[in-house]
Amino acid sequence: MDALLLGFKHLARNRKRSSIALVIVGFGVVATLLAGGFIEWIFWAMREATIQSQLGHIQVVRPGYVSAGAADPFAFLLPGKSPIPSTVESTPGIKAVAPRLAFNGLISHNDTTVSFIGAGVDATKESHFTGIRITAGRGLIENNSEVILGRGLARDLGIKPGATVVLLVNLTSGGINAVELSVAGLFRTASKAYEDSALRVPIETAQELLRLQGSHAWLILLDKTDDTAKMIKQLRARFPKTEANVEFVPWYERAEFYNKTVLLFSRQMFVVQIIIALIIILSISNMLVMNVLERTGEIGTLMAIGLKRRKILQQFVSEGVILGIIGATVGLALGFILAQLISAIGIPMPPPPGMEKGYTGEIQLTWSLVLKAFLLATITTTLAGLYPAWKASRLEVVNALRHNR
Amino acid sequence: MSVVRVENVYKVYPLGKRKVRALRDVSMVANEGEFLAIAGPSGSGKTTLLNLIGCIDTPTKGSVYIKDIEVSRRTPDQLADLRAQTLGFIFQTFNLLPVLTAWENIEYPLLNRKELTKQERRERVKRYLKIVGLRQFAQHKPNELSGGQRQRVAIARALAGRPSIVLADEPTANLDQKTGGGILRLMKIINQEEGTTFIFSTHDVRVMNMADQIIYIRDGKLIRRKQKDENILRSAVQ
Repeated sequence: MDALLLGFKHLARNRKRSSIALVIVGFGVVATLLAGGFIEWIFWAMREATIQSQLGHIQVVRPGYVSAGAADPFAFLLPGKSPIPSTVESTPGIKAVAPRLAFNGLISHNDTTVSFIGAGVDATKESHFTGIRITAGRGLIENNSEVILGRGLARDLGIKPGATVVLLVNLTSGGINAVELSVAGLFRTASKAYEDSALRVPIETAQELLRLQGSHAWLILLDKTDDTAKMIKQLRARFPKTEANVEFVPWYERAEFYNKTVLLFSRQMFVVQIIIALIIILSISNMLVMNVLERTGEIGTLMAIGLKRRKILQQFVSEGVILGIIGATVGLALGFILAQLISAIGIPMPPPPGMEKGYTGEIQLTWSLVLKAFLLATITTTLAGLYPAWKASRLEVVNALRHNR
Repeated sequence: MSVVRVENVYKVYPLGKRKVRALRDVSMVANEGEFLAIAGPSGSGKTTLLNLIGCIDTPTKGSVYIKDIEVSRRTPDQLADLRAQTLGFIFQTFNLLPVLTAWENIEYPLLNRKELTKQERRERVKRYLKIVGLRQFAQHKPNELSGGQRQRVAIARALAGRPSIVLADEPTANLDQKTGGGILRLMKIINQEEGTTFIFSTHDVRVMNMADQIIYIRDGKLIRRKQKDENILRSAVQ
């Protein structure tokens, strides 16, 4: 019969008080799981949208493109014909390798002319990317003289699929070139800002327009996002920067908006967790102090029959630990059920800043979140038990015994 | 051979701004195997003296020796060890742990005795439950036992650690006449059969009749001492 068993018996004796304590701990765990799970889902949705619509999991670029490519992008072109994309694509775990050629310029329709950010893409390879959704018309077909436009850009130009537009770009030689294209369709993405200025053309059309060969990046799409770090390591070993003259950049090094959002939300979640921890500590500590006061005589008896102070401390701390473990387990079970239920129904959300359409949120539970919620409950209840336990262990035996009378 | 020696002990308690002199220059000796009663009216200081002997309180002045070990300069942990190894306590209010069964209450202090195996611990609990006549109540919790049965469990708990000295603070005060008598007879038998020293704080005449030595205290002073088969050895000093 150790301290834990005796602690359990004491808690079972005060069923009502222990139940209230368990409800508080369990509520804290459920709140952590649901709030954290919702934020995890937002992170997941945002991450996948960023990867699928813009970045891919890994970008293969010329060394220096990430740091200096914005100033002179055409100085960092990858060759049009290279064995690397096909070799990489045959690697297990890699779904597709798609070239991207970035360019910008002006787009005109009738009397309206606005600027655009364009991308030359391989229509076949791009079908693996799910971040862009065609909302009107259809997607690109290889080698066709067509363009698809972001919904915002199409709205600014006042056009629909089937219309004709002219793209005007600056050439690397300093000259100007233009091309007339038919609008095949309109698309939307997770980012309104991107939709308002983005267009896509087949990469051959872009190369012809810009009068160059090659692309800026080969976007690698993996089967699983979690494999990114592992795959990067493998690819860097297979294609050393000095020999292959390419570098492999993971999505998270280029997803600035996503990284900042994660940082912001994580801090907010941290504050929520601190508040939950404080609620648990104050409630449980109060309960355990009451426990010590009620059992002062018993503590005196235990000390009189030879128990050392650290044993008394251990005894009362163990009661906090038991409350934490049981409360956490109950909270996790309840939180899991609620998370499934809420996810099945969905959380209707209004459009966030930078998006035009609302979305249906879910609760995504991860092992790290479950572990965090469990630790939150057990650590806070242990901390809550420390002061009352210390107080109990410092009682004078003779004074404590008087409480038995 | 003396197992307890109290020498010129004073105990002063602060009570608000006042100081209460609970014991004044008390000296006494308890010998091995003795059945000793500390008698006196309520508030006379007999429980205070018992607490000092039990190492759960320290004297303001003077010395207490348990088996020739001077206890006043010992650390709380050393005193806890001394209590666990040498002393057994029986309280007026029984002081059993309410969440534990009779068996568990007796076994609990033994869990800290590393030298005992699980088997030895079980044997001891069984033996002392048998001695106090409660084998059939082993799995009963204190609230399922009568006052006399609870005190028997407390006696078994005190004895299971095989202490040299058992300190009993008015053990019959909360028991009816018949039950109290039975408890006292049981303790006397254990005293005679096991050679355990018993020191009582009491004003129960039956305890005094059974005692080998009686120490009378009034207003914190030892006023007389009486040995069995002898008349008063020492009259009031003042």
